[in-house]
Amino acid sequence: MIESLRLSWHIVVRNWTVYRKDFLANISPTLADPSLIMVSLGLGLGPLIHDVNGRSYLAFLAPGLVATTALFTSFFESSYGFYVRMTYEAVFKAMLTTPIGPREVVIGEYLWNFIKGAIMAFGVCLVLFAFGLMPSLWMVLPAALIGGLISIPCAAMGLISSSYIHNINQFQTVYSFLIAPIYFLSGVFFPIESMPRLFQILIQISPFSHGVRLMQLLFWEQLTWSALAWHGGMLIAFGVILGLWSNVRIHRKLIA
Amino acid sequence: MNVIEAHGLTKAFGKFEALRGVNLTVARGECVGLLGPNGAGKSTFIGILYGVTDRSGGELRTFGLDPRTQSREVKKRLGVVPQENALDEALTVTENMRLFARFVSLPESKIDARIDELLRYMALEHKKDNPIRALSGGMKRRLAFVRALLAEPELLVLDEPTTGLDPSVRHLLWQKVGDLKRQGKTVLITTHYMHEAEVLCDRIVILNQGKIVDEGTPRALIERHTPGFVSIYAGVENLEEKLKALLPSDWVLYKQQDNWCVRAPSLNALVDFQKATAMSPLQIRPSNLEDVYLKLTGEELSQND
Repeated sequence: MIESLRLSWHIVVRNWTVYRKDFLANISPTLADPSLIMVSLGLGLGPLIHDVNGRSYLAFLAPGLVATTALFTSFFESSYGFYVRMTYEAVFKAMLTTPIGPREVVIGEYLWNFIKGAIMAFGVCLVLFAFGLMPSLWMVLPAALIGGLISIPCAAMGLISSSYIHNINQFQTVYSFLIAPIYFLSGVFFPIESMPRLFQILIQISPFSHGVRLMQLLFWEQLTWSALAWHGGMLIAFGVILGLWSNVRIHRKLIA
Repeated sequence: MNVIEAHGLTKAFGKFEALRGVNLTVARGECVGLLGPNGAGKSTFIGILYGVTDRSGGELRTFGLDPRTQSREVKKRLGVVPQENALDEALTVTENMRLFARFVSLPESKIDARIDELLRYMALEHKKDNPIRALSGGMKRRLAFVRALLAEPELLVLDEPTTGLDPSVRHLLWQKVGDLKRQGKTVLITTHYMHEAEVLCDRIVILNQGKIVDEGTPRALIERHTPGFVSIYAGVENLEEKLKALLPSDWVLYKQQDNWCVRAPSLNALVDFQKATAMSPLQIRPSNLEDVYLKLTGEELSQND
């Protein structure tokens, strides 16, 4: 197990080495997207909404955008990114001639997604703090941790779809029918409590909704141990179940 | 001890049977060449050796280990040069080597020296900071070759090592494979170049449609299947009829593309035949491994064989 983790860590190092070569180009969309949403929805639409559960729309929106960053970072990394590494760049073809096996490839991808999701959440938090939308700077650390946790089930969705699709354009379908609904319906843009009871129950099957809620409770200084246990537990449970599924799928993809 | 031992090895991809009962052993220090047409099962066999392809049936041991369950242990002891290089295009030469050195658990303190040594060995040190996409095909191949040597493997697997390379790079690689043989390494090579197999390999195994059709030293295979000398004829009217009319019954006549080939037991016999027929062949040459290959893989369209 120790050796597995050590080998998986080298995959993180590999991805980081590639990533840092175009660091600015890689990181700017991650920071630009939430800023755009802040401007268009927060500043443009916000004044039309008096208050959401006692706070401005901008303050309501902010934590969800941190969570969203983790969702998109990890999904795109583990779908397009992983698929290109697997199919066009034959990165794993060479790796698999070394002591690295398919399990280490999968663990490596999760480690990488966790770290990347955490770093991106961290970065967005700093931007939000600069705009006065994060109550205190210390929150940046737990927010990064939640960002990392969100990344695990979201990366799993990317890896699992990578194992099913037959060409790279099919990720568009996955995006439209899985990721976009998760993004729009998990409570980033509106309070889930204002929706019908059935919706509130059904949305619990979106791992992302638990991440959004955790981030909101953190930002709004309402986090309790029981909320942490429930939403954190759900995120981890989804992470484990989807992670194991992706492990089986990717194994079949890499070992003929 | 044998480095590779396969008994009744089979592999099916859906309905396609890539390997149909392969028995093959490779002893320590041996250099074995796997020959066969595309789709004969060469790469499948290699994949099964180190566990990236799962066998369907039969037995296979590499270093006495089962690559299905002990793949990591197997892979610690072998180096593979894959057909398509599979270099990390986004990284530089040194970055590729350094990452790989970590994958194969080279001690951190030895990595830089080992990389320098190997790049110098392949005359690549002047390219060490270049990205892979800036390298020529021959340089990429040389890099993939030394990458496989990082951990000083006991067994080196070369999947079509010189396909698409110019002759000078090919000779350089042959020379390096020779070095490895002298160091007592075991080498398994797949190739489509008969000359390469003859130059490098102690033993040749010919695969066709998932089965071994024969194996032996290049000399023994030629003696067994296509002994003697070959005259090649072309550009004569009614060539087939003329040759057939005069051909001794124990000789062989076959067509290769537009040429007719006559194989006889000795050079003198062919020279006499040339006088008797009053037809000059394009070429008279000793029978070679390519003749054996074409015959055994059914690509020689035999007329009276």
